[in-house]
Amino acid sequence: MGANRAGLISERGIQRSLLIVTGISAVAILFMLALLVYFCLPLITSDGMSAVLSWEWKPFSGHFGILPMCLVSLLLSVFALGLAFPAAIGICGFVTVLAPRGLARFFLILIHFMTSIPTVIYGFVSVFLLVPLVRDRLGIGTGFSFLTAGLTLSLLILPTIVLIFHARLQQIAPSLRLTAEAMGLTPARQFLHVLIPASSRGLIVAAVMGFGRAVGDTLISLMVAGNAPQIPSSLFDSVRTLTAHVALVVATDSQSLSYRSIFASGLILFLLMGGANFLIRRLDDGIGKDRHEEEP
Amino acid sequence: MKKNLDFLMTGYARLCAVAVFLATSLLLGFLIKRGLSSVDLKLFFGDTHWLSAITGTQPVFEGIWPAVVGTLFLVLLSSAISIPTGVASGVYLSEYASGRVRSFLGFAVDVLSGTPSIVMGLFGFTMILFLRNTLLPQARPSLFLAAVCIALLILPYVIRTTQTALEAIPEHLRLLGPSLGLSHWHNIRYLLVPLAGRGILSGVILAIGRAAEDTAVILLTGVVARAGLPASLWDKFEALPFRIYYLAAEHRSQAELDQGFGAALVLLLLTGFLFLAAFFLHAKFEKRWKTH
Amino acid sequence: MENTLAPSSSATVTIRDLSVAFSGKMVLNSVDLALCPGELTVIVGPSGSGKSTLLRAVNRLNECFPGCRTRGEVRIRLDGRWGNVYDDFLPLPELRRKAGMVFQTPGVLPFSIRKNLAMPLKTTLGIAGSVLAERIERALREASLWEEVKDRLDDAATTLSGGQQQRLCLARALALEPQILLLDEPTASLDFRAARKIEQLLTSLKQRYTVLAVSHSLGQTRRLADKVYVLREGVIGQEISGECLQDPKTFEKLIEDAF
Repeated sequence: MGANRAGLISERGIQRSLLIVTGISAVAILFMLALLVYFCLPLITSDGMSAVLSWEWKPFSGHFGILPMCLVSLLLSVFALGLAFPAAIGICGFVTVLAPRGLARFFLILIHFMTSIPTVIYGFVSVFLLVPLVRDRLGIGTGFSFLTAGLTLSLLILPTIVLIFHARLQQIAPSLRLTAEAMGLTPARQFLHVLIPASSRGLIVAAVMGFGRAVGDTLISLMVAGNAPQIPSSLFDSVRTLTAHVALVVATDSQSLSYRSIFASGLILFLLMGGANFLIRRLDDGIGKDRHEEEP
Repeated sequence: MKKNLDFLMTGYARLCAVAVFLATSLLLGFLIKRGLSSVDLKLFFGDTHWLSAITGTQPVFEGIWPAVVGTLFLVLLSSAISIPTGVASGVYLSEYASGRVRSFLGFAVDVLSGTPSIVMGLFGFTMILFLRNTLLPQARPSLFLAAVCIALLILPYVIRTTQTALEAIPEHLRLLGPSLGLSHWHNIRYLLVPLAGRGILSGVILAIGRAAEDTAVILLTGVVARAGLPASLWDKFEALPFRIYYLAAEHRSQAELDQGFGAALVLLLLTGFLFLAAFFLHAKFEKRWKTH
Repeated sequence: MENTLAPSSSATVTIRDLSVAFSGKMVLNSVDLALCPGELTVIVGPSGSGKSTLLRAVNRLNECFPGCRTRGEVRIRLDGRWGNVYDDFLPLPELRRKAGMVFQTPGVLPFSIRKNLAMPLKTTLGIAGSVLAERIERALREASLWEEVKDRLDDAATTLSGGQQQRLCLARALALEPQILLLDEPTASLDFRAARKIEQLLTSLKQRYTVLAVSHSLGQTRRLADKVYVLREGVIGQEISGECLQDPKTFEKLIEDAF
């Protein structure tokens, strides 16, 4: 009986301590947000934001515009997504439906492994493999360009897209495949005409996550995109992303006026990723209502 | 016509798979080929003898040892902060939290996990600015700050995987504890957590890998190219990923370039090893449920 | 028919006007039921009729599900005293030890056989050492499992056959020294022979415990039960005992009428 009493007390105690620990996590997050907001306030209150939202970045002549970087971040991510997304669908088709078991398993492990490769390694190999390729074989510019960064970035985000979409397919494929098989469809057609439409939400989620990953990446664009703060006019131009911009400004440690631009950059990045996340949450909640499940 | 579509689709899928395989093999092969020859004691310790380097009696000038140690400290410190906190929070969210609390905290965790690493580094940077203007005018970027920021970065991974691992326990096993008269906490401690243990552990290992490879956060919170072994928590430090980045951008000789390849290979081996560990644990975790 | 409303001197469990709802949806509606020691009572009914919920109402396991609301009484007699379990007559952990439950799918934990039995004893009762070993052996003997596993107590419990696993779960409940046994379709996942073995076991166990079981098989019900309650859409339709049980034809007719 005594053991029971003590048990009850420690039960409460444990619940309390876990709550406190979780509370600490939440507080840390809120603190982080608060600090960032505090430093971004001057942007919103004064006309700081307008100074930063211009097209020229020439700190020594007083121009702190980050719009070229915003544009580049978006364009580069879309480019990388444009390469990686179709490839990801192809690989998912391969792994889910079209390849023999052993080979499919191997590729899945390979893709998993790719997610564990550090970003800096992707960048490093790109510097010494891809950059000379663009420079010498294609003979244009220094090799550090939008194209180089885009290609490397697409390889980086490919595993993310594959794994998310694959997980979704695994959820719905068993029941649907049987039905499709019974209708006489070949595996390729099952994939194309049944599985893909049925998991359209999963496709969007995977794409958005891949896009988010591309936007949030710093190292690859820092190492191979060239870092010139300009609007690109060709694939081979040197460009700078928002993420690389933040790293560069802090590194060069110039005047504090340019700090405003990095907080603006941070804010924009945060909102972009937050927006993407929010979208995913909304889609994920509805993911149970994918087309095939809505049918009577 | 019909056969063509099949053919095209299958061909396309195979092409994608082959392309990815080639790209990855190229990446790994290139790294191994150029880096393997550089991986020796000299890579780590330069001209200093390895024993005096490890015990710290003599400084290492040309080797990557300080960077390796820096990364090690970083990983240890950030893990010590975030892993117990994360697992406890994951347990709380999965087993104790009511609906309201759960969605609020879940939202906070989501926000955190959606934060790009450079923004996390920016947070660390602003901490320094903030402290400089208020409490501690001598505040500097340091190992401790970087570790805290990395801990925040990997915290959502640990929380999420713990939560998922616990929620994956099938219902008939969840009812078992209470049906035997176990209290809520005893059920969690002696039944649920051990059952989810492997899943939780594999998540922890992945988080550790993430901490080891991060570069963006440390760029803004105190990593430098040359600092020797970290003298204290409050000093600048070296780290392996940064060394790799630095050597790629600023190498001045073939020897330094070779060092870069060697360092890259070492980092890859480290993360590869962690990956294997997490993978096997996870595979065993899934097997556990299949016997029922 | 017996007067099931007043706590008769021979009953150990009396259920009175029990209603259970989950998130507003009524699963059990005004159920009345009495269990006596030495009797094996079986609940039958179509699927979804609330049989498992009724079983779980006795050890208050329904409360582990969200949105559960219970009204009514479940009175049990323990050591001569009567009490309503919903009035916290006993602390929850103790209630659940006294009313031991065995589930449909063998809830065997991925530990060794020994640990499966030792874990609840250690954590809830703090038993260890030689007393622990004794209790384990006694429970395994009672569940007719001792001879088969005594040489491999440290093997993983998942290496046992389905029938053995189910007997292990029974042993685990028995090790906690219950007075009531709640069995939710205990042979549903077993083959014919394993099922028979458990049925024989139950016939001997009912001498020492009050047994309430849910069964999916009418044949099994006729073989085992001393009293049968038919549950349909949360309501008790029929109570069958005595000669009605013995005669197969009467039994079948009663069941069909009830369904």
